[in-house]
Amino acid sequence: MPATHFGVKYAVHIITSHFGNLVAKVCENLLKRGPLTLRLLIGFTELTPQQVKNSLLILIQHNCVQPFSVDQAEGPKVTQYVALIDNILHRWRFAKFMTVVSQEFDKECELIIKDLLENGRLTLKQITEGEYAVKDTVEKSFLKLVNAHFVERCPAPEAVLEEASKDAPKKRGPKSSKIVEVPETIEQRVVAVAAPSAAMRFSILTDSETDAHGGSSSSMSTGDKRKHDALELDEFANNEVVLWRANFEEFIRCLRHKACVENVRARLDDGAALVLRAMLKSTRTAEKKVKTENSVPVSFSTIYEEVINSEAGRNLTCDRVKASLSLLCDERDVDEDESYSVDLKKILELAQNDEVESIVLKRYGRDAYKMFRLLSTSSRALETDKISDMTLVEKKETPTILYKLWNDEYLLMERLAVTGARQAQFLVWKVDRPIVWKHVLDEMFHAALNLSLRLAYEDEQIKEVQLLPAHKRTGPLGKQWQRFRNVVYVMHASQLKIDDAIMLFHDF
Amino acid sequence: MFCRLKVCNFCNSLRASSFSSAEQSFTVVLGETKNEREAPGAIPVYLVHWIIAMSKRKQPDSSSPADSLSQNERILYNVIHGKQDMGIWTRDMKKETNLPDKVFNAALKTLQAKKLIQEVVNVQSKGRKHYIATEFEPSKELTGGAWYSEGKLDKDYINLVKDQFAKMIYQQKVATLEGIADAIRKTKIFKTEFTKQQTEEIVRDLVLDNRVMEVKSTGMGEFASIQIGKVCYKCKSKGGTRGETKVGAMASIPCGVCPRISQCTPDGIISPSTCVYFAKWLDF
Repeated sequence: MPATHFGVKYAVHIITSHFGNLVAKVCENLLKRGPLTLRLLIGFTELTPQQVKNSLLILIQHNCVQPFSVDQAEGPKVTQYVALIDNILHRWRFAKFMTVVSQEFDKECELIIKDLLENGRLTLKQITEGEYAVKDTVEKSFLKLVNAHFVERCPAPEAVLEEASKDAPKKRGPKSSKIVEVPETIEQRVVAVAAPSAAMRFSILTDSETDAHGGSSSSMSTGDKRKHDALELDEFANNEVVLWRANFEEFIRCLRHKACVENVRARLDDGAALVLRAMLKSTRTAEKKVKTENSVPVSFSTIYEEVINSEAGRNLTCDRVKASLSLLCDERDVDEDESYSVDLKKILELAQNDEVESIVLKRYGRDAYKMFRLLSTSSRALETDKISDMTLVEKKETPTILYKLWNDEYLLMERLAVTGARQAQFLVWKVDRPIVWKHVLDEMFHAALNLSLRLAYEDEQIKEVQLLPAHKRTGPLGKQWQRFRNVVYVMHASQLKIDDAIMLFHDF
Repeated sequence: MFCRLKVCNFCNSLRASSFSSAEQSFTVVLGETKNEREAPGAIPVYLVHWIIAMSKRKQPDSSSPADSLSQNERILYNVIHGKQDMGIWTRDMKKETNLPDKVFNAALKTLQAKKLIQEVVNVQSKGRKHYIATEFEPSKELTGGAWYSEGKLDKDYINLVKDQFAKMIYQQKVATLEGIADAIRKTKIFKTEFTKQQTEEIVRDLVLDNRVMEVKSTGMGEFASIQIGKVCYKCKSKGGTRGETKVGAMASIPCGVCPRISQCTPDGIISPSTCVYFAKWLDF
């Protein structure tokens, strides 16, 4: 789902709090006006060229902006800059990314990812010369992270777009273009073109950068070299410096899988959740894109092997796993050779429904909740009286509730005039998912922004008390301090939760 | 008249049970063979039809109050009676009878006093007075159906029924519509039996309430006794109790349920720093 009005505001707020006003101003212009050249940016921001350049460098370093140019037959090549809103929003999730790494890898890997997240892009040299541990083990950890796709090579410094927009997706080969969703926005097109090829992206083949470290390269890439035999070494030799960054896509994939598993746990049971986790874990590297609708088909034996790999899974018998699979997969999801695939899109859709319905319930009450549920499952628009009959709500109250929902953009309404012996007018109502979902997402961005602003406000209020040494915070000041700590605790928890919801609607 | 119906045994039984009660579902079988049909005792088919039609018609009791009506009252009564179980609105009555107001009101009063007609509440338009002949039960359109009583939705009753249904579903773990109806019948909690439609309505309401969920039988595990593909119902939470819906991320913070969120801006009159809902929420 594309970012909304408040999505942009929230992104600008994130940049402001991370990099200050100047950078935020540049970023805001890019987000609101779309791709711009350096000259236009200077004009719109009314900053000095040096300030704009520096801001852009920061944004590029942190993967928030991607330069590109359009391949024109005539005229000079002009570099434009496009803001990558998804990457900006991911900045709020670094803590979640760190949790993912800490659950799967050792401390050293954690430190590498931390370094990469803090600095945006780093060369291998910078990573290995960081403050941590022995170089040899750092390199091993790095290798592990690259192999698991958590770290990737940075995209091309400047993507070159082909003029005709239709040609862009074809680059991926004639066969895959049918399966791969055609990128729509210029942002998506630029990202697709700038990204290194799939083989290059996670390749740790020796290059000038690692050569400088002598023997280390041979120890780290022997296994990988065989994998990428086909790649031409010359190509790499030309690259001056290879930059690495954390692969947000992989982190989002992990979080998406986690969300699916937790939803299945709530909806079905622990057994089904375990089975789904095993399925997703064994096929994670085979997934083509983050928003994949169905999990990669996998055989029963592989699933069972993975299930009993975990401690909790060891008390599941084959029959129980099969029963869970029958709950998770429809008949059409099971191939002839008994490989199973789960409809992840459906799981996430149900979770989205829950979120929206819970807003309706809290805001408009139980009757409205029932009407909303009825209309969102109904394939066609329903008439007021019919809604009242089906939800067992008093006929007089129904129009009022429906009107409220319509007024806040949760429902669509249409007037139908019947001409005949008796003239009559009917109102029919329905839920238009894309419209409602976009509206809800916008409100979520708004809520996230508000939480953040309120937290900053609370922080400002307590500043004086905060500066006092701990032993002086007694009496009313102590109470204020305690309250502030509670506020921070509640706000942070809410921020994490609301971000989960935003991911559910925006990234998954 | 019935004595002549000696055509076959079946007709004899008709005579025995006498035509005036509920025999609409009987079919009169005439003699099978030509000889039988033309036998001296046989009656022509049209006569049989006539006999049945006569028997279905309610014979007005000679002593009924309807007999002692004046002409105007009779006109009014006929109009109301003619609308059968749909009843009629007073203004429509006036239009159709064309009686002067005074006469009309007097006639209406008399008819009510004689208990030939009664007032009914129409759920569609409660402000309008509707009358119906006492002979008829008000139609579903008029009363709103089984869940209405005196023109109002009987919420307490509905909730009671819903709770019982949820309990039955919970006890059965996975239940089909027939299974639920059976279980309810056996408990004998309710005096009346629920029709299939009523059962469906209640279960659908439980589903909309998110207390019960609709699942399709897979024929495995808990569905073992149920045909594959059949729609079943399962309780969402323990005991199928109410009000256990999971609160979402948005609904658990003030902005998620804020009625003023559309007017809220970072520097506006309504803003996160001046927000009263935030202040209330963060009041520890």
